[in-house]
Amino acid sequence: MNEITYIICLPIFAGILLFVIPEKLKTIKGIFASAISLYALYQSILVFTGQVGIYDLSQLVGNTSISSLYANSLNDAAKYVTFNIDSLSQLIILFVNIFAFLIVIYSLFYIDKKKKVYNYYAFFLITLGTSNGAVLSNNLLLFLTFWGILGFTLYKLIKGADEESSSAAKKTLAIVGASDGIMILGIAIIWKITNTLSISELHLATNNALTITAFITLLIGSFTKAGAFPFHTWVPDYAKNAPASSSAYMPASLDKLLGIYFLARICNNIFELNQWLTLILLSIGVITIITAVMMALVQHNYKRLLGFHAVSQVGYMIVGFGLGSVIGIAAGLFHMLNNVLYKTGLFLVSGNVEKQTGKSDIDDLSGLSKTMPITFMCALIFALSISGIPPFNGFASKWMIYQGIIEFGQGTGIANQLWIVWLGLAVLGSALTLASFVKFISGLFLGRRQKEFEKVKEVNILGWLPISIMAIGCIVFGVFSTNYFVPKLFNPILGEINLIGMWNSTSVSVLVLASIVLGLIIYMIGNIKNFRSEDSYVGGGETMREDSGMATSEFYETIRNLGFLSTLYDKAEKRYFDIYNISKKIILWFSKGLQGLHTGVLTNYALWIFAGLIIMLLILL
Amino acid sequence: MAEQLFYFLIYPGLLFAAVVGAFLSWYDRKITAWVQFRKGPPLFQPFYDFFKLLLVKETILPKHGSKGVFLAAPIFAVFGASIAGVFILLPLLGIESGFKGDIIVIFYLLTIPSLTYIIGALATGNPLAAVGGSREMKLILSYELTFILVLAGIIQKAGMSISLNEIISLQVLNGVFGGSLSGIILFIVFIFCIQAKLALVPFDAPEAETEIAGGIMIEYSGTPYAMIKLAKYIMFFILPAFLIGLLWGGLNFEGINILWSILKILFVVLLLTLIRNTNPRVKIKQAVRYFLVWMNLLAIIAIVLSYFGL
Repeated sequence: MNEITYIICLPIFAGILLFVIPEKLKTIKGIFASAISLYALYQSILVFTGQVGIYDLSQLVGNTSISSLYANSLNDAAKYVTFNIDSLSQLIILFVNIFAFLIVIYSLFYIDKKKKVYNYYAFFLITLGTSNGAVLSNNLLLFLTFWGILGFTLYKLIKGADEESSSAAKKTLAIVGASDGIMILGIAIIWKITNTLSISELHLATNNALTITAFITLLIGSFTKAGAFPFHTWVPDYAKNAPASSSAYMPASLDKLLGIYFLARICNNIFELNQWLTLILLSIGVITIITAVMMALVQHNYKRLLGFHAVSQVGYMIVGFGLGSVIGIAAGLFHMLNNVLYKTGLFLVSGNVEKQTGKSDIDDLSGLSKTMPITFMCALIFALSISGIPPFNGFASKWMIYQGIIEFGQGTGIANQLWIVWLGLAVLGSALTLASFVKFISGLFLGRRQKEFEKVKEVNILGWLPISIMAIGCIVFGVFSTNYFVPKLFNPILGEINLIGMWNSTSVSVLVLASIVLGLIIYMIGNIKNFRSEDSYVGGGETMREDSGMATSEFYETIRNLGFLSTLYDKAEKRYFDIYNISKKIILWFSKGLQGLHTGVLTNYALWIFAGLIIMLLILL
Repeated sequence: MAEQLFYFLIYPGLLFAAVVGAFLSWYDRKITAWVQFRKGPPLFQPFYDFFKLLLVKETILPKHGSKGVFLAAPIFAVFGASIAGVFILLPLLGIESGFKGDIIVIFYLLTIPSLTYIIGALATGNPLAAVGGSREMKLILSYELTFILVLAGIIQKAGMSISLNEIISLQVLNGVFGGSLSGIILFIVFIFCIQAKLALVPFDAPEAETEIAGGIMIEYSGTPYAMIKLAKYIMFFILPAFLIGLLWGGLNFEGINILWSILKILFVVLLLTLIRNTNPRVKIKQAVRYFLVWMNLLAIIAIVLSYFGL
């Protein structure tokens, strides 16, 4: 299996090679990275269509024993270096490489001299190689190694120029790093119980405290990567401060694919969930959906708004996996793919707008639909997809999740009896998503055209091609969802999927086209030729002032100020619920206590040492 | 495909639903006139309105807005209303075909018209339209949860079935859901959801003629406004029809049952009309709170009651 070597090692070595090329040759570095990424994409297609199976090191490098030392070290390494290609990892690998390629194309346009992210392409390629490695590795230690490197490259892909962005980078590194540390504990427990670390051999029932602890530690790792409550707080800050292509690459696409891939592995392969864990998963799922989208509703910075949505959508996937049924898991995976399509697209759209206008606040922008038509059309498609408007892809996967919830409600467990709670909150989350994207779309693209933006130009082909491909992907995945993509992609992983509802996505899409034609005919029959353009009417005799308009960001002030919600919002904006700030406070409190002991007086230290010695003696004797 | 196009465009989709909806709108206006001691419009007034807007009236486009989006929005409003109409009316009229949507699909399709009004309104760049759009969106946020809770209650009553066909046939066999205590509560909540979905008084804050001069509709005129009228006529018929299908055992067109079916629809529309004629407009904040607290509470009570078989 040479493909495995190519998709893992080639990007990593190419990335390391890029460190020696000077930063001035950024374009050359970019083209080189695109070529490597394209080749990795080709190899990943071979993996996708190729054989499944478990591969160890000897099959990859061959048994050519040059020296006994080499052979011995190879033998030791072979215990840990095993790769597993099954239907799930094939699918994830394909999507990782597709998105890496699309985003590297976009980066050629987006990363210029102003965006001082040093060694962007080098870290980009290393991220690609390690992501492929993490998905394919069959050994938990190997997996953790790749997983850890990803946390570091995530940190390096953000520009640490000013105080805010470097603190965001620090926060990201702290949260992601801490979660990796917690995962080590879980892996140690698994080793203790089973004496094996290979993922394909593990199958643990969660019936005692030890396995449940192991499950929760691994769950924390997956939640932090994917960005689920309460470990999500790095995502919005990262999205706000990182270059749009970095946020599209890591939190929006690769981290989602990897985090949810790992969630699928631990929920389906490594552990067997009991009903309390199901209840916990479903609760975390809906809490993630609602809290993140409520925060998104009141944001003014559009990149931060998108960051909160990157969190909220993860909730749907967790609900899908929490259900544990075939429909639920298929829905979770399908929602993951759809989410990666539109969320990556939205981040790239935000990059386009930011690059062309230089503004990062919804309040400062309006009426860009005429000057940036392609970006606007793509943004509209992504926004409708993420809000679950039929017949786009977001609707198809959300609808499958609702089916899963209703089917789940037929069971007798505690979580099953609460199905209406899960359904109601998931639907409410979808409506709130729609609301915040109405704000996003109207704030940026609709509304009154301003003089300031008359000269704004549409981005060039490198900027609009990736988002157009993703927008077409959103439409195609939606139109052919139930009759082609769902059986094609998920039957190999999960077996036959029986949906309980009815949704003729293709026929309805044809009817959309029919109604567009009908609409045009009505306009032709109607008196549309007899038109004139007038300034807006606001009552009274005078025409409107040039700068009047309604600030779109104030749309949901009513909800912001509604009773107890306003208290919650106030606290949330002061970051009372941010796990990073909470743990920072706890650590500072402890260190203050310890500082009190650091008096600098020698006799005190000597007393401590003696006291310690006496305690040790008492224990040992 | 030709069959589906027929369902969509002629019967029971666009044309049929729009004609019935137009007559219902006349009925609504006539009742309103009687309540206010007026004579009321002639029977074909809704058609006169539609064709005058379509063929005679001048269309005014927003100079500083996005004209393309402004003109495209009504097309999708008509689409959303018609396709939801097809999925609701096919089972209700007893037409058997493979072209189906479950009630979750219908729920989502019914949101499309309101969404297109919002996008169309925001594309104009008119601040009053933006005020209206934001109110409409907040209204959607508040009734959407209530609406899905009502549907969940009905799904629970129907033994976890989400197909409208099955829900209707279950009611034909075992008696209507609307007959039980929980069914009556669900009916009341559903009526208020329809009221908000159609933006009728007391939930007409998005349009509020006297306050923001039509709000989301302020810039629409001529042909695009005719299309919006079309979508509104359809919605005015299919929402009561959906309610009847879910709680009152659907429609039946055999013998004397025709009269019953027509009376069911007229009764539901009468309720809507009377509510809108006897209530003042509530502020958007009051509307949000009304649904968020009281209507959700009622829906949850109904669900708990139906859980215990009441």
